[in-house]
Amino acid sequence: MKKKESHLRSILIRVVYVLCLMAIWEYVARSGMLGPRSALIFPSLEQIAAAFVKNFVRGYAGTSLWIYIINSMKLLLTGLAIGIILAFIFSGISMVSYTFRKIFDFTVSICDLLPGIALLPVVIIIFGVRREVIVFLVVHAVLWPMSRNMLDGFSSTPRIYVEAGRNMGLRGMRLILGVYIPAAASYIVSGLKSGWARAWRGLISAEMIFGIASSPGIGLFINQMRTNMNNAEMYATLLVIIIIGVIVQYGILRPIEICTVRKWGMSK
Amino acid sequence: MKKSLFKAIIMICCILSLCACGKTGGETTSGTASEGAKEIKIAYQYGLAYAPLVVCQEKKMIEEAYRKATGKEVTVTWTQMSSGADINTGIAAGELSVGFMGVAPAISGVSKSVGYKIFTNLSGQEHGMMSNDGSINSLADLAGSEAQIALVNIGSIQHIILGKALSDNGYDAHLLDANIVAMKHPDGMAALESGSVACHLTSSPYIFREHENAELHEIPEINAAWPVRNSFIVGVASTELHDQDPELYAALCSAISEAIDYLNSNKEEVASMTCEYDGNSAEDELKYLEKGVYTPDTKGVYELSGFMYENGFIENAFSAYSDLVFENVKGD
Repeated sequence: MKKKESHLRSILIRVVYVLCLMAIWEYVARSGMLGPRSALIFPSLEQIAAAFVKNFVRGYAGTSLWIYIINSMKLLLTGLAIGIILAFIFSGISMVSYTFRKIFDFTVSICDLLPGIALLPVVIIIFGVRREVIVFLVVHAVLWPMSRNMLDGFSSTPRIYVEAGRNMGLRGMRLILGVYIPAAASYIVSGLKSGWARAWRGLISAEMIFGIASSPGIGLFINQMRTNMNNAEMYATLLVIIIIGVIVQYGILRPIEICTVRKWGMSK
Repeated sequence: MKKSLFKAIIMICCILSLCACGKTGGETTSGTASEGAKEIKIAYQYGLAYAPLVVCQEKKMIEEAYRKATGKEVTVTWTQMSSGADINTGIAAGELSVGFMGVAPAISGVSKSVGYKIFTNLSGQEHGMMSNDGSINSLADLAGSEAQIALVNIGSIQHIILGKALSDNGYDAHLLDANIVAMKHPDGMAALESGSVACHLTSSPYIFREHENAELHEIPEINAAWPVRNSFIVGVASTELHDQDPELYAALCSAISEAIDYLNSNKEEVASMTCEYDGNSAEDELKYLEKGVYTPDTKGVYELSGFMYENGFIENAFSAYSDLVFENVKGD
C-alpha cells in the first residue's frame, strides 16, 4: 500500500513539474518578452501542438515525420546493437588477456574523447556516403562509454568472487558470463543508460550535418525546419525526440534495471 | 509534502521573475541604443563571397561613414555565424541588426516575416556541379538514376539552383531531391574526389579547385541556371534599423558600397588581406576574386523568389521587387 502511494506521489511530482514547465513556456511565449517577433522564434504551445500534428500528417515536401523517425530508429538500433555487442566482447576479452586489457583501456581513453562529428570527413572517405556512416557514428557514441563502464565494473568485481568461480572450474567465457557480468550488472545498466543517451544525441547531430535525402532521418528534418524558419515544427520535432527518449528510458531501460540490479539487491 | 510544494512554487516564481528581467516588448538593443553608446551588430559567414566585409571591417568604413555623416561614434560588432538560419533567428530575436547570407535563405526570411529586407547585394559567384562518373554528362543522365549529389543543405541556394536548372530544362524542380546528400562544401569535395558521391554542386572557391582536377568534369546546366552575375550573397537589415535609425542605415549602405568599390579597384591588396581567412595563397585568392562579381545591385532576386514560390520552397508569393528590398536597392 505504502509502495503504491509512493509510486503515485512520484508520478504526481513529475506531472506537476511538466505542467509548471509548460506554464513557464506559455507565459514567455504570450508575454512577447522576446521582442516583436516572439511568435516566430518562441511559438506558443498551441502553435507547437498544431505543428506536431502537421509534422505527421503533411511532413516536409510530402514526406511524413513517421518516415524520418523510422529511418532514424533503424540506424540507431543497428548502431546500438553493434556497439553493445562489441563492448561486451572487447571488455570480456580484456578480463582474460592482460595485454589486450592494456591496449583496449588505452584505446577507450583516447576514443571516448573524440567527438564523432569531427571524424565525419575521415569516415566518409573510408565508408563512402552511405547510411553506414551514421551507424558508425552511433557505434562510436555507444562503444566507448559502455566499454568504460564495463571495464570499471569488471575491475571492481571482488577478488573472492573470481577465486570462487575459478575454484568451481569456471574459465574464460564461462568465468565472464558466470561471475564478471552478474557482479558488474549495475555498471552495465548504467553504461546502457549513458550509451543510449550518447547514441541518440550522436545520431541527431550526425543527421543534422550529414543528411542523406533518400533515407532522411530526424536530424535532417530538424535542419530543414530550421533552414525554413519553421520554428514551431522544429520544437514539435524536439518534443518527438523527448517522447521517444522517455519511452525508451521508462519502457525499456527501467524494466531491465528492475529485472537485474534491483532484483539482485545491488541498488535501491 | 506541503513544504516541498511550497519550495517548488518559490522556485517557479524565481524563474518567472528572471524571465521578466529579459527584454521587454519590442525593444531592440542593436542600432537603437541610447545616445553615446550606439552599437550595430552584424553577422556574416565564411568565404570568398564575403570579401568586401573583410575590407569594411579592417578599414572601419561603417564607423567612418557614420562619423562623417553625424559627427558621432558607433561601435560595430562583427560576428561570424555558420548558416543563414542562425542569422535569421538572431535578427528575429532582435539580437542582430544586419546579416549577410545566401539569397535563398534571405528570400525565405522575408517571406516568413523575420523582420528584415535586403539592403544591398554583396557578390555573385560561380556555381557548378562536377561529376566523377563518365556516364553522367548532363541532367538527363541524372534523371531517374540513383547517383548521389552532395550539396551544402536542403533549402540552400545550391539546392534551389539545382531545382532551377531542372525546371529550366523541362524537369520537375524536385526530381533529384532524393539524390541529395547534405554536407558542407569541403566534405562534399572530399567525398567527390574519393568517389563516395557521383556529383558535387558547389560554389567558389571549391568549384575552381574541382575544375583543376582532371578526373572531374562539369555538368553544364547548373552554371547556366544561375550565372556568376546573379545575386549570390546579399545583405539584410532589420526594419527597426531602417525605420528608427535612418542615419546609421545610410552609413551602413554607403560603407558596404564603398567596400565593394575598394575591392574592385584594389584586388591585389584585398587578396593579400583576405587570403589568410579563406585558406588560399595570395595568388589563388586574387585569381578567385577576379572571377567573382562584387556589386551592390541585385540581379535575379525577384525572379528567384517567383521560382521558389511556384515550386514550394516558400509559402508566400511576393507581388513586387519592393517587397523584398528596401527602397535604396537597385536591380531586379
